[in-house]
Amino acid sequence: MALPANVYKDLEDIVGSRNISGDPAVLDSYRYSLAHTAIHLGPFFDTFTPRGACVLLPGSTEEVRAIVELCNKHKIKFKASSTFWSAQGFPSEDDTIQLDMRRMDRILDIDKKNMFAVIEPGVIGATLQAEVMKVGLNTHIPGSGCSCSTLASATSYFGSGPSNLYGGWHYDNLLGLEWVMPTGEILRTGSLGQGCGWFCGEGPGPSMKGVARGFLGSKGSMGVYTKCAIKLFAWPGPECLPVEGTIPAYRTPLPDNFKAYTVAFPSWKAWADAAYAIWDAGIGYLAHRQFNMFGRDLKFAMVKILTDPTKTLSDLEELLADPEVQEITEQSKREFQIILVGMTKRDIEWQKKAFDEILERTGGWKVEAMDEPHIHDWVLLYMIRLGHKNLNLVFGGGYDGCFGLLGAADYGASNAEEAALFKKKWEKRGAIVDAGGDCMMGPIGGQGGGGTCLWENFTCFDSADRESTEGTFEFFDACTRFGLEKGWGVGMEKWNAVARGPDGKTTSKKKRDTIHLGSPQPSVFRYQHRVREAFNPNDLGDAYYETLDDT
Amino acid sequence: MNGKMTDLMNIVKEAEIIDDPAVIESFAHGYRGDVPMRPMFMVKPKNTDEVQKIVRWANETCTPLVPVSSGAPHLRGGTVPTAPGSVIVDLSGMDRIVKVDRRNRLALIEPGVTYTTLGPELKRHGLRIAMPLLPRKNKSVLTSLLEREPVVSPRYQWNMMEPLRALEIIWGNGDKFYSGGGVFRGEKEEDWKRGLVPVWGPGPGQLDFYKFVSAAQGSMGIVTWASVKCEVYPECRKLFFVPADRLEEAIEFVYLLLRYRFGDELFLMNKSCLAYVHARNADELESVKDTLPSWAVVVGITGGHILSKDRVEAREKDIRDIARGFGLKFIPQLRSLSGKEFGERIMRPCEEPYWKSRYSGEVQEVFFLTTLDRTPGFVAAMNEEADGLEYPAERIGVYLQPVHQGVGCHCEFIIPFDPDSRMDTRKTEELIRKSSLRLSDQGAFFSRPYGIWADMVYDRDAGTKTATKKIKEIFDPNNVMNPGKLCF
Amino acid sequence: MALEDFALETDRCSQCSYCKWIPFDQMKSWRFAKNCPSVSYNNFNSYSARGRYAVSRSLIKKQIPYTDTVRHIVFSCMTCGSCDVSCKICRYNLYPLEMVRELKFKLVEDGQDLDEHRAVIESLKKEQNTMMQPKAVRGKWAEDLDVPRLFSQKAEILFHAGCRLSYDTEIQSSAVAAVQILQKAGLDVGIMGEREICCGGRIYSMGYRDEFARFAGENIAAWEKAGVKTVVTSCADGYHAFKRLYPEFGSRVEVLHTVELLHRLIMAKKLEFHSEVPMTVTYHDPCHLGRQGEPYVPWNGVEKKIKNQIIVYEPERPRYNGAFGVYDPPREILERIPGVRFLEMERIREYSWCCGAGGGVREAYPEYSGWTAAERIAEAKATGAEALVSACPWCERNFMDAVGDDSMKVFDIIDLVKLAM
Repeated sequence: MALPANVYKDLEDIVGSRNISGDPAVLDSYRYSLAHTAIHLGPFFDTFTPRGACVLLPGSTEEVRAIVELCNKHKIKFKASSTFWSAQGFPSEDDTIQLDMRRMDRILDIDKKNMFAVIEPGVIGATLQAEVMKVGLNTHIPGSGCSCSTLASATSYFGSGPSNLYGGWHYDNLLGLEWVMPTGEILRTGSLGQGCGWFCGEGPGPSMKGVARGFLGSKGSMGVYTKCAIKLFAWPGPECLPVEGTIPAYRTPLPDNFKAYTVAFPSWKAWADAAYAIWDAGIGYLAHRQFNMFGRDLKFAMVKILTDPTKTLSDLEELLADPEVQEITEQSKREFQIILVGMTKRDIEWQKKAFDEILERTGGWKVEAMDEPHIHDWVLLYMIRLGHKNLNLVFGGGYDGCFGLLGAADYGASNAEEAALFKKKWEKRGAIVDAGGDCMMGPIGGQGGGGTCLWENFTCFDSADRESTEGTFEFFDACTRFGLEKGWGVGMEKWNAVARGPDGKTTSKKKRDTIHLGSPQPSVFRYQHRVREAFNPNDLGDAYYETLDDT
Repeated sequence: MNGKMTDLMNIVKEAEIIDDPAVIESFAHGYRGDVPMRPMFMVKPKNTDEVQKIVRWANETCTPLVPVSSGAPHLRGGTVPTAPGSVIVDLSGMDRIVKVDRRNRLALIEPGVTYTTLGPELKRHGLRIAMPLLPRKNKSVLTSLLEREPVVSPRYQWNMMEPLRALEIIWGNGDKFYSGGGVFRGEKEEDWKRGLVPVWGPGPGQLDFYKFVSAAQGSMGIVTWASVKCEVYPECRKLFFVPADRLEEAIEFVYLLLRYRFGDELFLMNKSCLAYVHARNADELESVKDTLPSWAVVVGITGGHILSKDRVEAREKDIRDIARGFGLKFIPQLRSLSGKEFGERIMRPCEEPYWKSRYSGEVQEVFFLTTLDRTPGFVAAMNEEADGLEYPAERIGVYLQPVHQGVGCHCEFIIPFDPDSRMDTRKTEELIRKSSLRLSDQGAFFSRPYGIWADMVYDRDAGTKTATKKIKEIFDPNNVMNPGKLCF
Repeated sequence: MALEDFALETDRCSQCSYCKWIPFDQMKSWRFAKNCPSVSYNNFNSYSARGRYAVSRSLIKKQIPYTDTVRHIVFSCMTCGSCDVSCKICRYNLYPLEMVRELKFKLVEDGQDLDEHRAVIESLKKEQNTMMQPKAVRGKWAEDLDVPRLFSQKAEILFHAGCRLSYDTEIQSSAVAAVQILQKAGLDVGIMGEREICCGGRIYSMGYRDEFARFAGENIAAWEKAGVKTVVTSCADGYHAFKRLYPEFGSRVEVLHTVELLHRLIMAKKLEFHSEVPMTVTYHDPCHLGRQGEPYVPWNGVEKKIKNQIIVYEPERPRYNGAFGVYDPPREILERIPGVRFLEMERIREYSWCCGAGGGVREAYPEYSGWTAAERIAEAKATGAEALVSACPWCERNFMDAVGDDSMKVFDIIDLVKLAM
């Protein structure tokens, strides 16, 4: 259904004719494929999110507010997204108005002393990082990578990534927030609302930032976040990353106060011991089990490909047959990457010593092959900028994570091998990439200072191949059953399945209610329902904001 | 004994109910313009079930509840009943340290646990908690954290809620709720081994429930236990001072330390504030004060548990170099004030008399959040206001505590007065009133709006006020929880 | 190939939007972080490679009709290839540049081409140039040059001036200079003068595949007839057509851009500089010389899967991700010119920002084309350079038109070489 002409005209008056489109070709480029990367709900072959009613490109908070007010007037659902990575940013109902926030892409302020930046939705991790590095600061880049909107990550979803450990996840980093609420009213949280600046998002009194986001954000279902301040942290490196090498094997040679290690352990227990010790010692700038996303069996061969511009995936089999590659693959089974960064020479020296001590105590070792200069400097660049996120889909264009054991290091460590073995058995069936079962990746330190990990078991498939896609879906179903059986709960392979179904649209209320009632604490969703009623009375979002009626 | 009291006794049979006039009167002190209301009686629940029953009863009988966890005196008025017929819910009896887990550095505590009791227990497990500056001995840890009291170690503060994590909450509507990772209550030892522990603070879900009870002065619900994140008890520890004639000189140095996250404890004080901390009584104060610099940065260095001495040594040298770069001294002793002793003192709750009250017997505070670079302006404004009212500005203690790893700064003015002097009392009250307005106009963020600050802040921000009321309506629809506070 | 051959890719596109940015590893600022003029100017997703995959899919599936918007989306692409470079940072089985070309071919074949482009083609058919000028005056630029004319005379090396330099009197001095410099270095160089015809590169990027094939065939036949061993051109479009596209039509000649040949001569000390050129300059990598200037690698293979679902090709497929384009020769030439101070812009080499002249955009959407050039000029100015140097007459012309009253000077690199000799 096209929008009524008068509504379209009113919207056009708000944003200008260049910034509105109802053309089907444009609208189809704002639909998301649920085949290639389902973001924890599928995958569903040949399924796309519904076509929007129109797409708008607002240029200011005032325009957003006017759009939202108009949507309320006509009771039309709307959904905003900034960088359109993941199904959550796309409508799940027909005739939704889509807001593409890319024109609001300014970095409004960088407060060097107080270490925060004020940004609009279109600012991505990479541009923010490039700008703040000029003043000796850095920004946390979440797991979705530096191509994604920093504001969206901080406000609307999760915001966790390799630099949680030192940089804090974006939950920690979100300061003042400007929010066009679902009714069109504007809420400015914390010090911002008092006209005192952007530095604090909490209060006065009970923090209303808690309405804007909790552990997760509202995934575009509760109004539009138009500006926010993001806490930054020290960058004791050059003002601009010095980049060498031939595409895509770019690398950054950084000064001696930067050191990247890949370290491996004799057991998962030792792996977890090391994580706890790192957190206790307070060392580390970035720590992530990163390259294992390619799979326990494939990771080092993939590193060889990615660090050599003459190689492609076609070299993979030959590399896997190389005894040296096999040996390194074997010794780095239970590994992770960590980057130590010293603020001073003494600081890095102490951190290195302390880290050696931790390895000594836990029986861990450094994977020396990863310390080759061209690989070392490639790891630095990869991890610091996180500009290769799309390697998630390198094999066949389809990927999703399963299990996603989230919690204390011991939680994942005590279940990791079982999850890996389970996947390994399924890999033999052929629908998914045969990678060694353990393709688990995630942060060593799920939040500022550590304390938690995430174990997302990457599953890669061919999104253009029905058998592969449907076989993957079957595997994910099996993961869910296995997770429930093991007491791990529903894994991340279904995290968003509650909101959207195989047709790309909102799941039935009955199904959602069943899932919510089966959760450890259904009242969470009841309270979210009450909050939605209070703050979004016309219900102009979608089921990504999860609710359960009081009745 | 009135009927309500009997009713409640029948509901919470085990709980102690007190209507001793002396006790009841102690809650009826006015504060900053609040009109105190004498509470009906006080109830002391022993467990969560009793708390839940009390709250449900309050809803049924429309009885205002005022939760209290810390011991007297109650300085800021959050526990002064401002509605008639209130019942004080004294949680000090719920004082179990339920669990201390070294591996995950978590402690599960009830609201009655004080810093006095928690510290030694944590130490026994090789842990400590980031503390506020010299809390009273009977200060509830949970209250302090819920009220977002700043801690002396900004580097551990990844967000403004740290180190508070999961909570068990009885909302004002009587519902029991677990926020954050609270559904993992760690009731079974096996769960701790498997890592099923209440380590998350935010959420769960898409709301941040613990933020609704934070800085709420008990107006949203009652928290019956919490998990808190602890730090490693350092094997090695030193404390240094960096004296400065002018605040501005010290600020740039502190900024660099904050950027590097050097300094495990890090804050600034003016001469008076240092003296209030250092002197053991009023007699000592003036003589101590004469020996102190106008300003001092306090920098603690700790060594954790791995290569502890190496770490302290490296940090000490680095910070000394940094101080030198700013033309400042980095010294372990400020005349009679020894860093070692000071360091030990701030690891513990305050000895009596409470340090802020040592000068004249009573104290008022003005505190707010800002950024460190703006603090000299606020100090100047406060001094001007004091001068205008002929309040001796040199008496005002200034405590500047960077928060949230340096993004913000808690700015606190400690204003002693003699409660027996009507003039002193009046002048102080006037100073509080006038300076609060002026500082607020100047950009001070009164994030924890006690007493007269509540109207001031909520009148400035209609959006937040409306949103806050909506949230209150959801969690405490009958407004039984400490009515009259904030914007309720 | 047909658009339908890209159906699998349309399902495999990650919708990640890497195609909208320069490689993230190379980002140095907020201001110069974008790579795709089309989506930067038009903003809607559909104007990026990601969006064009979606449009392709919808067309293949017949979910959308042809509209003016579809035509605008497709023909706004300059086929500069920057999306292709960024996409291939992480993907080894997507070819967005090939896809968008195929999309253009499809629209042209379906009669959905633009009037502005059709006018060029009509003229081209008659006059054999894209400048809508008479064929008869094509060799006028070289009338004062004492240089062999093929076919009547013989030469080992053919200098192909190209349409732009043949007709654009304001900048064609660089063609004259190129021939003179090569002659001075003792090379056996000739030209075709009025017998020269268009390389077809520009119409290829507009979507006229068949017309291109005709020109390719005619040029290859002419070179064979003339016994040419090497073809040299100063035009990046021509270079790309000859080097990358013609081999598929049977061309076996060596293809060099003038800068490559000059660079060889300088390195061999057959060309020396004697004059100072006191100037601070920056260099613009033409898309067709840089990222699209990689050598042609023949491939006629098929997709296969390893490890169950990893997509590879049998035999290994050429990657064409800009890794081995012509980047260093022009820089090394500039650095050797006495007095020249060379500064780099932020977007360089394989992730260079387009000049705005490509893909038929200059002809169809002059305002947008000018905006694209102005963006590059702003970037050049940000370096502190006084001159923007390129190695393609199309870039040079587009920059000159966009400079307006601006203080930035625009040169072809050969102009500076000539000044320094």
